[in-house]
Amino acid sequence: MTRRDAAIVGIGQTAYGKALPGTAWELAMEAVLAACADAGLDVAEVDGMCRFTAPFEPVTEAMLVRGLGIRELSFFAQAPHGGEALGAVVMHAAAAVSAGLASTVVVYRALSQSRGGRFGRADGRGPGGAGPGGGADADVVVTEQDNLSFAWPYGLMSPGQLFALWARRYATVHGLSDEDLTRALGTIAITQRAYANGNPNAMMRDRKLDWETYRGARMISEPLRLFDLCLENDGACAFVVTTAERARSLRDDPVWVLSATQTLSPYREPMGIYTSGELLELFPPAAAGRLFERAGVGRADIDVAEFYDATSYMPLRSLESYGFVPDGQAWRYVIEQGTGPGSPLPVNTHGGHLSEAYLHGMNGILEAVRQLRGTASNQVTGAEIALVGAPAGSATILAR
Amino acid sequence: MAVVPGTTDLTAPYWDAAREGRLVVQQCRACHQVWHPPLPRCPHCHATDLGWRQVSGDGTIYSYTVVRHPTHYAFAEKIPYVLAIVELAEGPRLVTAVTGVAPEEVRAGQPVRAVFREIAEGVALPYFERSRTSSPPEDQN
Repeated sequence: MTRRDAAIVGIGQTAYGKALPGTAWELAMEAVLAACADAGLDVAEVDGMCRFTAPFEPVTEAMLVRGLGIRELSFFAQAPHGGEALGAVVMHAAAAVSAGLASTVVVYRALSQSRGGRFGRADGRGPGGAGPGGGADADVVVTEQDNLSFAWPYGLMSPGQLFALWARRYATVHGLSDEDLTRALGTIAITQRAYANGNPNAMMRDRKLDWETYRGARMISEPLRLFDLCLENDGACAFVVTTAERARSLRDDPVWVLSATQTLSPYREPMGIYTSGELLELFPPAAAGRLFERAGVGRADIDVAEFYDATSYMPLRSLESYGFVPDGQAWRYVIEQGTGPGSPLPVNTHGGHLSEAYLHGMNGILEAVRQLRGTASNQVTGAEIALVGAPAGSATILAR
Repeated sequence: MAVVPGTTDLTAPYWDAAREGRLVVQQCRACHQVWHPPLPRCPHCHATDLGWRQVSGDGTIYSYTVVRHPTHYAFAEKIPYVLAIVELAEGPRLVTAVTGVAPEEVRAGQPVRAVFREIAEGVALPYFERSRTSSPPEDQN
């Protein structure tokens, strides 16, 4: 995959909401059809698909091929680890068209959590919940898989609790007081809510967030409060990747995939138990190096960043781990320079997972495409190069 | 009602030892490294001749969080509780909960020691409590 070998030519999405009518299947088809229409393509031309693996993606390629009347897929790949596949799905799609394995690859993500479980409800239907089917007092037996049997029996069962362990480690290593950390995380949450207030797609578009509300909200798992954790919702996103030649014939503003990365190291698979290595380091620095080297750009060339934010801690630490701010400095940088409009590097200009919607990084890719087309609600003037990155290192650099 | 660890052939010896009040980690008989959780081969030298070494139970809190909002009904009544990653004196880290101390008094770096609690019939988990520093008080005279 060389630079400007593959481009995103279409994006599509459903509305985002707490409980949308329609199954994940229906939502996926709506988003895919919208993305193809945006690209000016007939969905029957789609010959490749990339997606997250189950259980992170409930809609299979087969369901879409049948449901949309697609003639044939010659390339289809799945990437594991949920949101850490956000760079991977771009990588696979771009590599496929670059290698001539397919010419029109759809990447999609559909979510209907209202029909599955949610962490916030403690109703047992979500991950970790076997349900009360065995009688109210029946013990829950955690099948050993990926070391979860060493964590769940203690009540470490949700990502928010794990992220709290990460945030505490950051404060410990860098000598932050609780107040320092609160000010940094709160600045991120409030900045992103302000972006969402200007974004018609955002679930939180009509809900303001000020410091009193942020600080006064319930503590979920110290030091993370309610507004430090992402939304839970339904919705679907999709985008279309094609070859350079095709892209130029379809539109005059293709968004080029300059680079995309995956990475995996011991005890760094989401959401494992992270009991080895320095907890602050969620991926080897070499992965970020690879991302920039292959794109042929430097940190100073990035005009806007969309950092996967299941928690406010993630954009904070991602500023450091992607090399924009030295380790241990991002908390102060965020407070002093911010990530809002006019800041040196605007972050999560759609409101992110905290305030737009939680589509496991896919809505961040859509926002980056809008920024580079010049059609974003909170447009960064003259944005030419965008980075979309997940906290454990999977990322992509896109350019107009 | 408890959340109990299911076991495999690989993990059963750890939980068997916990039931007996012993904390153990896997050790390679070839290169003598220790690690946790258990693996089928030594992650350092790939040997398959592995054993279990009983460790002291001493460790320090590497990171922690006080859980204030339940995400599973089995833990709703235990709120607030303290989750932690404890670094054992012998090197490996493990996920656990810190008990016997007010949540507000827990800090990273505190010394802790393993204690075992039966959570269901025949199932015990290692928890960690604050331990005093090992050095004895100076003679006042």
